Amino acid sequence: MILQMGWRNIWRNKRRTAVILTAVIIGVWSMIFLGALMRGFSDRMRQNGIATLTGHLQVHRAGFRNDPVIENRITSPAAVLDALEILPEGARWTPRIRVNAVAGNARHSAGITLVGIDPGREAAVSFIGDAVRQGRYLQQEDPLGIVVGEAFVRKFETRLGNKLVLMSQDANGEIASRAFRIVGIFDAELESTEKQFGFVHIAASRKMLGVGDDICEVAVLLPSHRQVEAAAESLRQRLPEDTYTVETWKDLLPIVRETLEIYDVFIFIWFLAVFIAMGFGLVNTILMAVFERIREFGLMRSLGMLPRLVVVEVLAESFFLLVLGMAAGNLIGLLSVWALSVNGIDLSAFSAGMEFAGMSRIIFPVLVARDIFTANATVFLMGLAVSLYPAVKAARINPVEAMARP
Amino acid sequence: MKSIRNIVECRDVTKIYDQGRVKVTALKAVSLEIERGGFIAVAGPSGSGKTTLLNIFGGLDVPDQGTVSVDGELLNDMSQSALAKLRLHKVGFVFQSYNLIPVLSAIENVEFCMLLQGVPAAERRRRARSMLDDVGLEDKYDRRPAELSGGQQQRVAVARAIVSNPVMVLADEPTANLDSKTGEGLLQLMREMNEDKGVTFIFSTHDKMVMDYARRLVVLRDGAVAEDAQR
Amino acid sequence: MAWRNIWRNPRRSVLTMSAVAFATLLLVFMLSWQFGSYATMINASVKIHTGHLQVQAKGYQEDRDIRKVVPDPEAVGKILSRTETVASYTFRAEAFSLVSSKDRTYGVLVTGIDPEKEAAVSTLKDMIRKGRYLADDDANQALVGILLAENLKVSPGDELVVLGQGRDGSIAATVLTVKGIFSSGQDEFDRSVVHIPLHDFQEIFAMRGAVHAAVVICTDLETISQAKKEVSEALGNLEKGRSLAVLGWKELVPGLLQAIKMDLIVGFIFYLILIVVVAFSILNTFLMAIFERKREFGVMMAVGTTPGRLTRVLIYESAAMTLLGSAVGILVGSLLTAYFQVHGIMIPGTEEIAREFGLPERIYPQLSLLSVSVGAGVVLLITLITAAYPALKVRRLKPLEALTAV
Repeated sequence: MILQMGWRNIWRNKRRTAVILTAVIIGVWSMIFLGALMRGFSDRMRQNGIATLTGHLQVHRAGFRNDPVIENRITSPAAVLDALEILPEGARWTPRIRVNAVAGNARHSAGITLVGIDPGREAAVSFIGDAVRQGRYLQQEDPLGIVVGEAFVRKFETRLGNKLVLMSQDANGEIASRAFRIVGIFDAELESTEKQFGFVHIAASRKMLGVGDDICEVAVLLPSHRQVEAAAESLRQRLPEDTYTVETWKDLLPIVRETLEIYDVFIFIWFLAVFIAMGFGLVNTILMAVFERIREFGLMRSLGMLPRLVVVEVLAESFFLLVLGMAAGNLIGLLSVWALSVNGIDLSAFSAGMEFAGMSRIIFPVLVARDIFTANATVFLMGLAVSLYPAVKAARINPVEAMARP
Repeated sequence: MKSIRNIVECRDVTKIYDQGRVKVTALKAVSLEIERGGFIAVAGPSGSGKTTLLNIFGGLDVPDQGTVSVDGELLNDMSQSALAKLRLHKVGFVFQSYNLIPVLSAIENVEFCMLLQGVPAAERRRRARSMLDDVGLEDKYDRRPAELSGGQQQRVAVARAIVSNPVMVLADEPTANLDSKTGEGLLQLMREMNEDKGVTFIFSTHDKMVMDYARRLVVLRDGAVAEDAQR
Repeated sequence: MAWRNIWRNPRRSVLTMSAVAFATLLLVFMLSWQFGSYATMINASVKIHTGHLQVQAKGYQEDRDIRKVVPDPEAVGKILSRTETVASYTFRAEAFSLVSSKDRTYGVLVTGIDPEKEAAVSTLKDMIRKGRYLADDDANQALVGILLAENLKVSPGDELVVLGQGRDGSIAATVLTVKGIFSSGQDEFDRSVVHIPLHDFQEIFAMRGAVHAAVVICTDLETISQAKKEVSEALGNLEKGRSLAVLGWKELVPGLLQAIKMDLIVGFIFYLILIVVVAFSILNTFLMAIFERKREFGVMMAVGTTPGRLTRVLIYESAAMTLLGSAVGILVGSLLTAYFQVHGIMIPGTEEIAREFGLPERIYPQLSLLSVSVGAGVVLLITLITAAYPALKVRRLKPLEALTAV
């Protein structure tokens, strides 16, 4: 019956209840919705990072990451490829040659990252498999073809079918150079990606650099990003630490990792700020409800109701306000996320800014169960906590004085 | 406990209200004994200390000097929660107005004290029904206080006061806000309850008609007992 | 009268004012923080490399073609010296080249600088970590970025071979000695740039006295647009001046501007939602202040107070409350900001991001008239609108009804 009283009491002043419910609903909605957008931002950033040749894990020869030259290549790839057997079911991997090179034609020259790939395997791991917009992707036998980015083609004032000369240091420390023909042009989310990478067949790059069957790195994509740490650990067990390094995307993309961490903190700070904003209203509303019913509380205390139960009754009012507001806020939040998840939010207007921050142009909201839980738990628990103040006030009402009121 | 004949015993009870600059003496060394099964009116003009006396009897207020015991228990040193328990289990209250909890229906108001006492729901409902029937509100179970007349509200209050089997019912000017006919009806009801169920009633009033119903009349004047007569 | 009414229910008024103060405080602090970090970002970018303005050949910014030059730097220099809003300037020329050490080769942007003038424009001179800065009469000496030096495995005194293409298409080659190693804190810059004296550059790359850019620092951020206008006009009168363009930092680093814009807009969306939640939180207080005083208003109206007057009293009352809340918020917010303005804020776990943008570890919020007034202004505006709603409602009150209301 105490709960019933709480429920009925909140409807005694419908306008007041509607106003505070609106505050709670907007608050909860903004937590869910903006939280999902922020997650969308950061998720997209992570996915872009992983798809842009990073994968979930990479294996290199120790030292390659600090000094990425052909000298630091993996000279016995068979050992590494054997170790990959222990990867979980559904994991895909691809070997690569990756070196810094200078690309040049008659008018321009610039530094690029030359990536030698196994066309079939690569397509299953990174973005390049379905990023070619003009021409074609590399074929199983492709000794001369190179695939470059759209922005690169513009900068170099070149086009499909033209020649491009690549220069890099070979296995003997000499400058190796080789001419390729542009067979495909790819698009990427970020212009910097389009300018940075040039893809050739792994066999062509091996021949150019004189490295036999060696490779520079292996990139692995796992069925789920939750398996990353475990997979990395088991690979580390198999591969001697002084010869090989196994790194996850978190090691390979420290900026993305830091951004994700900042978002975690920021989302919580946002929840807290919104809560404080509506907390003042909640306390005030309940305080009003208590003070206009002083006689009533006096009566209940006179009849022998323990202060503890008075606290419960007032908390019940706050409980119902919170639960109603949270239910509606969550519902509207989920609906608005759902509505946006079809087309996403187009941020092309800020594309250069997004590029600057390494993000994509279109953002899709992403719901994370933990965020929804945190949002609701924050509102609910802290909402009840701050309601203790008016509740205790109500419990302390002196029955004699209260009943003597006009 | 039943062996104690007097339900309330107070000795030299003095109560002074400190209202800033003025100190108001509400009760001056009042000594009274209230017998079990009585139907007692405490009369006197307003400001004579009637309400204060009833509040002290009911454990709502504590005297500054003197002792009060209810049903053999000394109230003076009780904690707030002990007093609350005493009110809940031993005292029924009927106030002048605002007697009922507005968000509860008539039957729920009657059940309220039993709920606090921890009476099981089914029994609660059964007792509340029969009590409402006894006070003549058998067709008004689910009305909210706002949908009841003043007289009906007071009847619900009487029902609530009696239903939890208290040792006494304290009624502070129960008829003050009622017209004389309705007020008389309420008094008759209280009298019936007193006679049929043996419930002790102590009520305050300054209405001659109400005094006439009492079997014992205590008259207070300026915080002291001026007259105490069986009738 | 309004003032006294506020204190009839001090607890409620304090809570309402606290809500306003909280929102104001948060906005003052956050906006100061944002503006502070923008200033830091702009300064970092400007000071490391870009300058406030650059005079370049039209189109050079887009394709970095070595042939798009400023042919007569002296003439441009004269104009810049004449312009009062220009604090300092220097000339630069740059070309992408292959730079080899004993056992490494990397593609690098070789930049020719005027050592003395450069020191007045960028912080390059203060960035030297090993060795020494260039002197005016140095020949075939180079400053190398710290990450590039690691990659090339060179330290001061070691030799570098430069191989590139001159302005006329000829092969440009020379041998340089590393004189100093600089660290800007911005990874990209430290990994890809080598500085050499401008006269050496012009000789090696067959520049025939030309440069690629005149880099300008203005007297302060506010005078940039005026300087840009004056310099553009003066260039128009120059022979061949029409082939030159004056670019501001916004055009030189468009990503930075858009990132700032996006950050501001996202920030404003968050702030707005927060303020709306606050508004609904405090709306109940304003409503209550009226409904519990219906009788009082009834009396006032019965004795001849016009509804307009009532509205005014109520508005004064609410305005006094919100103004007081804002004042407290501004005060506390400013104190908090001022504290951090001195001590700086370090967010742990953001080192990589800071290095990406060349930011210092600590961000110093910047208290300014703008950051204080914008935040407080928006909060005040919205809360006043909130307060106006019930105050206008009172006009519809009828004296008789109000008198009989309980």
